[in-house]
This record gives sequence, structure tokens and C-alpha cells, in this order.
Amino acid sequence: MLRKLLKHEFRATGRIMLPMYLILLVTALGSNLAGRGMLDGRSDVLRILGVLIVTAFGLTIFGVLLLSFVLMIQRFYKNLLQDEGYLMFTLPVSVHQHIWSKLIVSVVWFAATILAIIAASLIVAYQRGFLWEFFDVLRWFFEGLQKLKISETLNGTAYLVEFAVLMFLAMAAFALQFYAALAAGHSRANHKMVWSVAWFFGFQFALQFLGSLLFITLDRLHIPFPFHLEIQSATVAIHVGLLLAIGCVVVYGAIFYAVTTFFLKRHLNLE
Amino acid sequence: MPVLECKGLTKRFGRTTALDEVSLTIEPGRIVGLLGPNGSGKTTLIKLANGLLTPDGGYIAVCGSAPGRESHALVSYLPERTAIPTWMTARQLLDFYGDFYRDFRRDAAEEMLDHLGIQPAQAVKQMSKGTREKVQLIMVMSRAAKLYLLDEPIGGVDPATRDYILSTIIGNYNPEAAVVISTHLISDVEKVLDEVIFINQGHIMLQSTADDIREEKGMSVDALFREVFKC
Amino acid sequence: MQWQFSNDAPIYTQLIQQVKVGIVNGAFPPGERLPSVRDMATEAGVNPNTMQRALAELERDGLVYSQRTAGRFVTEDNAMINTAKRSLAERHVKTFLEAMLRLGFRKEEIVELISRELGEEESDHASA
Repeated sequence: MLRKLLKHEFRATGRIMLPMYLILLVTALGSNLAGRGMLDGRSDVLRILGVLIVTAFGLTIFGVLLLSFVLMIQRFYKNLLQDEGYLMFTLPVSVHQHIWSKLIVSVVWFAATILAIIAASLIVAYQRGFLWEFFDVLRWFFEGLQKLKISETLNGTAYLVEFAVLMFLAMAAFALQFYAALAAGHSRANHKMVWSVAWFFGFQFALQFLGSLLFITLDRLHIPFPFHLEIQSATVAIHVGLLLAIGCVVVYGAIFYAVTTFFLKRHLNLE
Repeated sequence: MPVLECKGLTKRFGRTTALDEVSLTIEPGRIVGLLGPNGSGKTTLIKLANGLLTPDGGYIAVCGSAPGRESHALVSYLPERTAIPTWMTARQLLDFYGDFYRDFRRDAAEEMLDHLGIQPAQAVKQMSKGTREKVQLIMVMSRAAKLYLLDEPIGGVDPATRDYILSTIIGNYNPEAAVVISTHLISDVEKVLDEVIFINQGHIMLQSTADDIREEKGMSVDALFREVFKC
Repeated sequence: MQWQFSNDAPIYTQLIQQVKVGIVNGAFPPGERLPSVRDMATEAGVNPNTMQRALAELERDGLVYSQRTAGRFVTEDNAMINTAKRSLAERHVKTFLEAMLRLGFRKEEIVELISRELGEEESDHASA
């Protein structure tokens, strides 16, 4: 059933995200053209037009980022906690599957947005011979890699992977904080939105409080960071730091996941 | 086994008690009218049976299990509001129901949509309010469910639409299932009811067969309702 | 068929009456197959269980009979249909007479009224 939920969730979000990517592509192409003479040409009209197109491109980048973030929260709210919730929560589907479908789709769109922005930026920068230069840079990059020691290559790749994992987990965990606040707020009989906002700031406060408390205790206990590991080099320290951060994000996400399912399962109160 | 059973079911919203210790049983093969004035607790009871609300006391079971994933596969629910996503086209809606419900009779739904002149590519957004209600009812009645919970299916529609809705219900429900129709428009539904439940201020006032009411009291369900709920 | 219901009697007894009328006046001809219970119920706008109950009652009276797979049929026994026709007519006459007596008419006056009414109808037909 999760697969079917994902299918319909992609249908629901794709009709918003895909046109947005198309606008991104068009404004990127426009900006590329604008860069070829429109901006420093003689005609005032063309110059103004060029500036407008480049501005539009900038705004679209901002817009598409904002949209993938807003959509992540808005889908959860509108599809599950408003009128459509009457349909969704009476499907033969578990609450876990609902939450995962929303999370997975949000993270996929977020990744797609980043890729789309990179692609759009390449389009803007494209000139005759750009591709060759681009491949030159890539070749240079890989040649450089080959000159590195195997351990350095592996470490570098691992950093990248760890960082990417951390990014996406952080996105998902942050989304879960919103989901938890909305689910908790909407379990109330009245003033659901006010309660949701209150829950969100309550969570935020609790997180900061617990975080500060943790650091203070660690400091008081004089535990050498990270713990008793003999740190051999900076390389290992970065790995440990990244993995520790991933661990923290997973715990943070898991807590809010538990809160969300608790309220949706035990205290659902659709208006 | 009863398809719907509640014992001492209680639900409160803040200080108001919407359902107060309600106990009732609904057997399969019946069309049951859940009749009561506005705010009497009809919608609350139906939402509890669908797991959209959580009870404050007592228990409710649908086909022997508490409302949840298993019961959702057996219950076909018509909410009192438009719950189908309005961006969907008729075809996407058919896909949606077909994907999630094994008992969905797609060909029956397609035939009814066609009969109403609805194109598969037409979006719900482009339909009038009355058509949206009909489309939602078609989806609900195209399932071969064990229990149909229809919340105010004929509220706020014109008499011709009312006839269409009632004949769609009679013509499509699974005869081994129970149908619960909640409404305050009794004269319009009483001919199709086997059984009636009167509910007021969160209490069950009466549960009886429609024929018994006419035979023993010599009056229509509508007349009895007016007498019981006289202001 | 026109289906109409009053508020005082159970729906199934009213259905029995109306199907009987249909059989007597030829809306459901002798020996013909009746529509399915669900179709008849949908047309009359009543619960299929109630229609089923009414047809079962008619079956017990012998006005309809069922064949295991083919469905329900109207009887071919014309004598039985005539008896049903007669009993329906007698019931109408009885209620009519009760109403007339309550209005204070004597039997001779009733007969006279009826024959005059019938005569007028005939002359209406003749002039038309």
C-alpha cells in the first residue's frame, strides 16, 4: 500500500513541482540569452528586459526552494488534517505508511530541486565551448583524484556521502517536527491551528533546553570529546563528528516520528 | 455477527457531550436510518465508527474489530463534506479508489459517471457542487462493502437529485451489507428504511423497524419523529 | 407503473396492493416475467427487502410464482387473477359504501346516484 500512496502523492505534488521546474528551465535559458549581449547592449529596452529576466531567474530559484519546503508541510496539513483527511484516514492504510509517504515524497522533491537548480545554473553559465571547459574541469578533478592516496579518496567520498545523508535526514527530521506539532495541535477539539503553533514552539524550546543541558553536563563531567576515543588525526575527527551529527538527527527525527504517530493513531479528532 | 456495535460509547468536545453512553447493534442486510435533528450526535457516531474521532469512553466495533486499517477495507464511507481531492480528474479518482479498495467495481462506477455525462478527463474542480456530491456517492456505492456509512447523503440537494441519490443507493449496495443513512429529512428516506434509530442530544431515543412503527403506531416514521422531537 | 404510498399503513402491504393492481390491469401481464427485486425496488423507491417481502406474500397467495433460476413470473391462471380483481373491487365498493353511509345516504339513494352518474358518463361518451 505504501507504493500506492507514493504514486498518488507524487501525482498530487508533481502537478505543482514539475511546472515550477519548467519555469526554472525557461528563466535559466532566458538568463543565458540575456548574458549574451542583452545586458550590455545599446538598446535600453533590451537591457531592462535582460535585467528583468535575470531577476526572474533569481526569484524562481528562491521560489522553487521555498515551494518544496512549503509543500512538505502543506501536503501533510491539507491532505491529512483537513477535508481530504476524511478520505485518507479511511483508506485501508496504516498511519506509518501515511507519514512515510509524505516524508519520502518531500525528500525526493527536495533532492530534485537541488539537482534542478544545479542544472539551471549550468544552463545560465553555458557558452560556446562551456561543455568542453566543464569536462576539462571534471577531468582535472578526476586526474587530481588519481594522484591522491587511496585512503584520501575514500575519505573524501565518505565525507560527501555522510554530508549528503546528514542533509536529507535533517530535512526529514525537520519536517517531522512540523508534522508532530500539527498532529498534536489538531488532536484538540478547538483552536487546532493555535495549538499547533504552540506545540511547535514548545518543541523548539524543549530541544534547545535539552541541548543546552546536554552540553553543560558534558562540560561538567569533563568527558573529553568525543568520549575516550584516541583521536589519531583530524580525518577521523571529522568522520566521528559527522556520524555523531547523523546519530543526533536520527534521534531527533525518531522522537517526532513517535509523537506524530501517537497523536494520529490515538488522538485523531478531525474537525 | 453485527456489522456495527457500540457499548457505552461516549464522546465529549470540551464541555459538551456529543454522545452519552450510546449502545446499539446493527445487523447485516438492513438499511438503517440514523435519524435526529442537527447536532444530535449522528455525525459524531459515524466519525467514531470510521476512526476519525477517538472515543472518550465505551467501545465501538465494526465487523468485530476496532476502527482501523482492517475495518476501513470493509466500510464504505460518505462524509458529510466533499473529501475527494478537487484537483483530481474523474479518471484519477477511479484509479485512486481502484488502487486502495479491492472491492471497488470500476466498471459500475464508470457506467454511472458516463450516465451523468461526466468525461474521464474532467476535474472535480470543474464540477458543480451537486455533481461533486453525486460523484463522491458513486465512488462510495461502487464498492462491494460490508457496511456503508452515509452521512447526510441527501442534505442540501434538490428533489430530483434526492431521487437520483436514493435510487443509486438502492440499486448498488451489497445486499449482504448494512447501510446506515444519517439524515434529518425523514419523509424522503423512510420508504427505503428497514430500521430506524432516533437519536437526540447524544442519546438513543428509539430503535425499531419501520414496519413496526407503521403497524403498531399507525403513523409514518416522519409523523412519529415529529411527535418524539416536538419542541 | 405509478407507485404511491400513504403514511398510515406499512410499506409492504401497500406494495402488495399495488403489484396486485398491476397484475389485474395488465401492467404485469399473465405469464410474464417480473423485473428483479432490486429493479422493482429501485423503480418504486423502496427498500429491496420490503419488495422481497411483498413478493413473497404474493407468491404465497399464488398470484406470482418463482422458477429457481429464471426469476419470478405472474400466474397464468386467469381465474385467480379474476378473483384478485374481484376482491380488489369489493374492497373499493366497501370503503365507498362506508363513506356514503357516514354522509347519511340511504341504500336506494346511493344506487340512484350511481346509475345517474353512469348514465351521464354514457351520454358524455355518446356526445363525444
